Order: sequence, then structure tokens, then C-alpha cells
Amino acid sequence: MKLLAPPRGPRVQQQPRPRRTYLGLDRDGLLLAVPALIPVVLFSVYPLLRGIYLGFTDAQAGRNTETTFTGFDNYRQLLGDTYFWDSFRVGLIWAFSVTILQFFASLGLALLLNQKMRLRWLARTLALVPWAMPPVVIGIMWRLVYHPNAGLANSVLKDAGIIDQNIDWLSSFSYALPAVILVGVWAGMPQTTVVLLAGLQSVSRELHEAASMDGAGTWQRFRNVTWPAIAPVVTAMTTLDFIWNFNSFGLVYVLTEGGPGGATRLPLLFAYEEAFRYGNYGYAAALGNAMVLVISVFVAVYLIRRMREAT
Amino acid sequence: MDRSRPVASTLRYVALLAYLIFLAFPLFWLISTSLKTPQELAYIEPTIIPENPTFDNFRAAFREQPIARSILNTAFVSSVSALLTVLLSIPAGYVMARYRSVVSRATIVWVLLSQIFPWVLVIIPLFLLLRDFGLYDSHLGLIIVYVVWSMPFALWMLRSYVASIPFELEEAAAMDGASKARTLREIVAPLLAPGVVAAGLFAFVSAWNEFLFALVLIRDPDLQTLSLTLVKFIGAEGVARLGPLAAASLVATIPSLIFFAFMQRRLTGGLLGGAVKS
Amino acid sequence: MTIRSWWRLAATGTAATALLLAGCGSDDAGSSDEPDAAQANGDDGDDAGDVEEPAEPITLTFQTLAWQTASVEANEAIVDAWNEANPNVQVELLQGDWNNVNDQLLTAFEGGTAPDVFHYESTTLQEFADRGNVLDLAPYLSDDIVADIRDGAWDTVTYGDGVYGVPFLQESQVIFANAEILDAEGVELPTVDNPWTWDEFAAVAQDLTTDDRYGVVYPLRSPANRILNLSRNFGGDFFTDPDGAATAVFGPAEGEVLQRIHDMFYVDESAAPDGLGMSASDSLPAFFDGQYAMLAGAIWLRQQLIEQGPDDFEWVTLPALVGDSSAQGAVAQTISVSADAEHPEQAVAFIEYFLNPENQVELAAGDWLLPTSQEAATAPELNDPETGWDVAVATATDLEIAPFQLVKGFEEWKDKVANPALQEFFADQISLEELGRKLTDEGNNILERYHR
Repeated sequence: MKLLAPPRGPRVQQQPRPRRTYLGLDRDGLLLAVPALIPVVLFSVYPLLRGIYLGFTDAQAGRNTETTFTGFDNYRQLLGDTYFWDSFRVGLIWAFSVTILQFFASLGLALLLNQKMRLRWLARTLALVPWAMPPVVIGIMWRLVYHPNAGLANSVLKDAGIIDQNIDWLSSFSYALPAVILVGVWAGMPQTTVVLLAGLQSVSRELHEAASMDGAGTWQRFRNVTWPAIAPVVTAMTTLDFIWNFNSFGLVYVLTEGGPGGATRLPLLFAYEEAFRYGNYGYAAALGNAMVLVISVFVAVYLIRRMREAT
Repeated sequence: MDRSRPVASTLRYVALLAYLIFLAFPLFWLISTSLKTPQELAYIEPTIIPENPTFDNFRAAFREQPIARSILNTAFVSSVSALLTVLLSIPAGYVMARYRSVVSRATIVWVLLSQIFPWVLVIIPLFLLLRDFGLYDSHLGLIIVYVVWSMPFALWMLRSYVASIPFELEEAAAMDGASKARTLREIVAPLLAPGVVAAGLFAFVSAWNEFLFALVLIRDPDLQTLSLTLVKFIGAEGVARLGPLAAASLVATIPSLIFFAFMQRRLTGGLLGGAVKS
Repeated sequence: MTIRSWWRLAATGTAATALLLAGCGSDDAGSSDEPDAAQANGDDGDDAGDVEEPAEPITLTFQTLAWQTASVEANEAIVDAWNEANPNVQVELLQGDWNNVNDQLLTAFEGGTAPDVFHYESTTLQEFADRGNVLDLAPYLSDDIVADIRDGAWDTVTYGDGVYGVPFLQESQVIFANAEILDAEGVELPTVDNPWTWDEFAAVAQDLTTDDRYGVVYPLRSPANRILNLSRNFGGDFFTDPDGAATAVFGPAEGEVLQRIHDMFYVDESAAPDGLGMSASDSLPAFFDGQYAMLAGAIWLRQQLIEQGPDDFEWVTLPALVGDSSAQGAVAQTISVSADAEHPEQAVAFIEYFLNPENQVELAAGDWLLPTSQEAATAPELNDPETGWDVAVATATDLEIAPFQLVKGFEEWKDKVANPALQEFFADQISLEELGRKLTDEGNNILERYHR
């Protein structure tokens, strides 16, 4: 994990006088870290380890069952689970598309919202609408937007002359996935925008002005001044966005129930159904562990590349 | 940048407007839906402006469900969760960015792992744990869950925001013999403000919208949070009582928007721009 | 290596106690002076009226899934009346929701926090019963309620010798028609005594199809349950040995309804293609607009037709279609008692009151569904032809338990194989043979895991 070490900042060893350390932290460091660590260890680490461990057992729902440690049995079964791996493909398309589109759209919006302009407060507030709307109503509203014959999407596109026949967005084998990806981008934009906007505050204004004096164009200033300053935040946010998108299924499920013909079945839906519908906790946790493995590889590759670029 | 040409400036407004239409139109549609009669909701050509606006949906929503009560509950749980998340994460995020220690690395692993491992699979063990701590059917239980749930994000982001603050600023303070806690409070924290707001907003929104944990942990209708109240307007087989649902959702959306309107100002630091002479 | 069950890790006490006490009252909560009747295994509990009032007031929690205004109000009124009459057995009414009740109950059962009495439906009840979460009501039920509720409904909640809930609301599939269009086209309406066959229906649908109108819309968003239930018309079983080593099968009987509906889409072109992704309510705007002459739906849709239809819209409920028979598979909404309930006798007494014929009339009217009580079904308000009640109630005797309802692993078969494959079939992406092959080959791979 040393590649994940912060790009800047000192090492403890560089302190003027080395102090007594515990787990690499001096007294100050411990005092600062411990309050956060207590709830984390108590309420997150334990359930997490418990969940991971279950992936190696045959745990089931019910009061009359006994749980046995089964080693890698679940994983042997998992390798032959074509439904799960098919959904993995859908999941990767979904997670990559949403994350990438969401990032560029949010970056553009954050740059705009960072400018001084009239009614900026209103624009910033309205940009957060997808965040403010209760998730239960989001899926229902978008289903109405995509309604096959009484929806806003068809009605607007027909009026604009872009289509001349209604499109059955959510049950078409070709449009369903793009349609839900658009909703995914919409729903995740406020998060990414806010984070990037906060990141833009660390861009030095003097550097910008200096570059401007030197005759640098907008793009050059962005490339040479803004981008390096927000790079750590960009890396952190896109990583999390990718993980979150890969791990989401609720919104898509409300929109399509995974249809048509499994075209929008996301992998986490399997883990969820396995645990909550069929009561196979052990196998569900094994699916979870497999997802952890695969996603960790993507995340690690990405973080390593970003670190290299930074140096 | 403010002295750019008028064409560029106009383009900016147009782009922003396009963004806002995309992001905010569902809100306007929600408003419109909440004012429609059941008949108008089944029009083949959806109307943007209701033909026969009515407040019946609001009346029904408030009569049938404790909307006001749920908003208060949710506001309480979300604010406390957001506050705690931020208070705990600032120092810890700072340590993660500035110390190369086992704890920092373990925390990074935990942060990523906790996000990658499917959250739905953690629910049952965590639920049983909270029950054993006597936190079933209590707001405290929910708050703990939400703090622990938001903290990976808060730590992860604050760590990267701290990393983007030049260390030179702190070195000066260290020379003066200030403790780490004081350096953090007086030098780093003000510079972190936008990042803290971003993390706090995230914690607030996650708690405000969270559903599954509230579902399994809260039984008492008086303790119910908004997400639990809203699903009561949705039935089986994709049928919903759209009017009252839209009305209740709209009422639920307004406090968040007001909160955002106040908080968005804090997303602009302005401090750092002048403070750093690189 | 055997380890302790994970959910019991920190809760051994509760779980073990609950296990011992399943079905025979409880001794904790410190109420030592509970009446013996509550402990007895129901030998003398043949009649709800015999259940003794506990000396100390007790509280039962009851989670309802009612969500339409009228049925929520009916629930509240019934519970209030009970509480008034039974000061020592107070019922606390909680409101759950259909979409999440499964997750909530599953978790609550793991943690021992489930409501004492809960509302759910027969198909999923079996899984909870298998896991030991639901009380077998057989020893507690009175003769009155057993006799009043139709046998076909009792079948849906009976697994082996156990009765795991009291069935109370059922839906049946009918046809709704735009009366104006049928009238204008001179279509002779079928009656309860002389319903349409599938052939007659297909012919009418074709006649009613014009350039800007389809004869019928089949909302097929999640088609599996609906198609399997309708396939009973032609004796479609889809499974052999459903309550044993169930195996998915597919033959001419299973393919009949599928082929007929498919033909209406692609041969007659009388079924609206946009129905493929619709839920029943999604199809209403175009139905009101006259784009579909008929709508194949379930009886509860009447509520929306009344509430959402334009003032001048005239509709009529047509009887269910007849194939080789008029049988339809049907599930039932149920009320059950949690195995952890401390006062099962009182809980059952409450259920019997809640579902007495008089109350069932209110509940059925509130949700626009069929009551299971035979006495309730004769109530005048449930036979009003104006709102299609006469047609709805007439289907009651055709409702039977479909074999799939007994199959362990059916839910997974449905989610992973049946719904996606049916969507592909109705979108004309795969043939009937291929569909059959998927339902059986792929389907049986899934069922295999439940046979171990």
C-alpha cells in the first residue's frame, strides 16, 4: 500500500526531534486519530470482517440451521455461476460509463460554479437537486420520464423532431442500459461536483494570474495550474465513484428490475437477492468477496497509474 | 477571469443553464406532479403546468402520515451524524495525510474495503451488534451507523484535501513549538473549510436519504425517518399513490435545499488563494 | 468444523430460548402469572372466544401492509374496535411496505425483533416457515374461521401439516374493456355464465385493432407470476413433484398461453407492443386515451380505473377467459404469527377477529381484492356490477393453488431464469422451444441446489 502514501507531506522521521511512537504515531497523532478509530473498529471493522468470513461458510437464514466452515466451496460454485459473471459485464459497463461521464460532467459544472457570476448561490443550490430528492421518488419520477407512451422523454424528443415514434426506453434491449446510465450520472453528479468545487478552492489564484500574464490560454491555465492542484482530489473521488457505482443497484432495480432479459442486472443485485431473498448468507458473502477482489484490482491499477502521473 | 469577453460570458451562462435544466427539471416535475389530480396524472400527454392545480395531495399526505414528525426526526439524526462525522474525521484525516504510520495505512485499507465490500451484506451483522448494545429502535443507533458509514468517505476526502495544503505552512507553526492539535486547529482547519463542508454535506445527505438501515432498526412510528414515511405511499407491483408521494417528497426536499443554499457559500474558501505564495 | 450460527454469535440466549418456546408461549418478560390456557397446545383453543383474557395487560404488535387510504382506514378501525373490546390484549398497529417487507422481516427474524402478527403473502411465507420463523397455526384456529374461508385459499398457506397463516385477500385476472369502443364496434359482451374462450378473445381483439388502436394491451413488465397463473387455463404445471424434488417441465400445456399471447403480438398484431415493459398502471394513460380497446389486468386495477379515469370514460369488467378450464392460479395475502410471539393464543384470537366476515368485507373493498371469506363474498357491496364486483367475485371459485407456489427455489427460478427468458420470448428474441429449454435446463440447474 506504500503507493497510496500521500504525494506530499513530511515523514515522521523528518521531524526535528524524533518522539516515542506507537504504530508509527506520536502522542499527538494518537490523540488525533483515536476518537475516530473507536467507532470504526467497534461498528465497522467487526461486521466487515464477519461479512468476509461468512463467505467461507455455508451460513443460511433460519433458526434451525448450523453454519459450517466450508473453505473455498462457495468459490468453486461461484466460478460456474454464469448469471453472476454475465451481470459482472453489465456492472463494469455501467460503473465505467457512469463514473467517466459523471466525472467530466461534474468537472465542467464545478468550473462554472466556481466562477463569479450572478445568482451563483441559486445555481449551486439547484445543481444539488438530485441529492435533495428522496431516493424512493427518484426512481419513480424517472420511470415516468421514460414512460413508453405517456412520458416526458418521448414527448419532448418528438416535439423537437428528434424522434418520430415513441421509444420504449426501459424495455428495449438496446436503449435500456444507456437510459439507466443517464439516470446514474444524474443521481451522482452533486456528490462529485461538490467535491471538485471544494478541491478547486486550493487552486492558487496568484499562479492563475501569473500564467494569464504570460499569455497562457484557458486550456493551458487549466492544464498547468488547475489540474495539478486538484489532482489528488480527482483521484480520490473518481476511485470512490467507481466503487460506489459498481456497488449500486437500487436505482436501476426500481427502473427496470434488471430487465429486459437481464440487460440491466447489476452484480450487487445478485449478492442482495442471494442474502435477502434466498437467505444464502454464505454464498452472498462469497459473491461480495469476489467483487472485492475484482474491484480491488481495478482500483489498485488506477491508483498506481495516478500516482505515477503525479510524480 | 471576470474580464473575459462577453461572448465567453454568455456561453458560460448558456452552459450553466443547460446543466441546471438537466439536474433540476425533476424537481419542477415533482412540483407539478404534486399539484395534479389523479385524472391528470394519467394524461397521455403529460402536462408541465397542472390544468386544475389542487392541494389535495398535500392534505392527504399530511393527514395519513406523520410527515412533520419524520422531518424533525430526520433533521436531528442527519445533523448530529454530519457533525460527529466531521468532528471525528478532521483530526483522523489529518493524521492519515501527514503521518506515514501503520494506522494510516490500515485506515486506507479499511476505507477502501468498507466501500468495496457490499454494504447490504454488512447489514445483518451490524444490526445484531447494535441490538446487543441496546440500540434497537433508537436514534442513537441510527446515528452511530450513519457516522460509521460516512466516515470512510470523509476521511478519504479530507486526507486528500490535507495533502493538497502545502506543508510549509505547518512547518512555520512547528518552529514556534505549537502542538499538532493547535497547528491543526489554527492553520490547517481554516484552509480545509471547503473540504469539510463537502464531507459534511455528504454525511448529511447520506443520513437524510438512508433507507435500509432505518427500516430494520426503527420500529416506533414516532422515531421514523423520512425515507420510511415516504415508502408508505408505494404499494405492490409498481403501483404508487403518485400524488401524495410527490407532495410528501416535495416537502421532504425543501429542508435539504434550504440547508444547501446556506452551506454552498462555505464551499468557496478564498483563504487559500491569498495565503499561499508558492 | 462446526461453528455457532452467525446471528446467534452474541444472542445465544434469545435465540435458544425462542427455539425452545416456539409455539408454546413464553416465560420471559417476568410475567409469571400467565394463564395456563396460553401454554396449552391449543387442545381447548378451538374457538377464539375461549381464549382467556390475560390477567396483566399485554401488547401485541401487528404490522400491516395496507397502503391505500381506504384499507389503511379499515385496518385502523378494526384494530381500534378490538382494543376497545379487549383492554388486556392491546394491539399496536405498525405500517410496513410491500417493497421492503421481505428484507425487514428477514432481518427482524434474525434479531428476534419481528412483529408478533404480520401481514404478508402466501408465496414467500413458505420460506419463512421453512426457516422456523412462522408459527404453525393449525392447533389454534377455530372451526368457524376454517369453515368460512375457502379451501382453495387455505391450500395456499398449508405446507405439509402446518398452516402458516390465515389467507384473506386474493387477486384474479380479468379483462377490462373500453365500453365505448366495444359498443361502437357492436361487440357482444361475454357474461359470467358465458365467458369468452381464448379464441373468441383473440378474434375480438383482432377485430378491434385499427390503424391507431390495438385490440388489447398485455402489461408484461414482470411476466412470470401472471403467465404461470393464467397457464392453469390449459393445465400448465411448469413443475412436476412441486412439494418434493421439484423439476421444471415444459410441454404443450405450458406453451399454450404463451403462444397465444405471442401470436397476438406478432401474428395478429392485435396486442400493443409497448405493453412489454409496462406495469398494469403504466398502461392506463393510453387505455383512457382509447389507444387500447381492452386491458388484461387484475381486479385491483379497478380502483385506479375509478380514481384516474376521465369523467366521461366508460369501462367494463369482462370475465376471465376460459381455456380447457377457467382455473387460475392465485396467491393470497396472509396474516401470520411470528414464532417468537409470546402470546400466540391471543395473537390468533386477534387474527380471527380481524378476518371475520364483516371485517373482510371492509378490507376487500378497501383494496379492491377478493375476500377469502365465503360469507363476506355475499355482501351486497362486493357484488355491485357498476364497479365489476360481480365479475370479480365470480372468479373466486376458479382460484386454485398453482404448483409453482409449492416449489422450493421458485423465487430464484423466477428472478434468474423465468422473467428474463419470458421477456426475451415476448420481445421475439427467442422461440418457444428455446424458452422451454431455458425454463427447464437452466431452471433445473437452479432448483438442484434446493434439493440438497
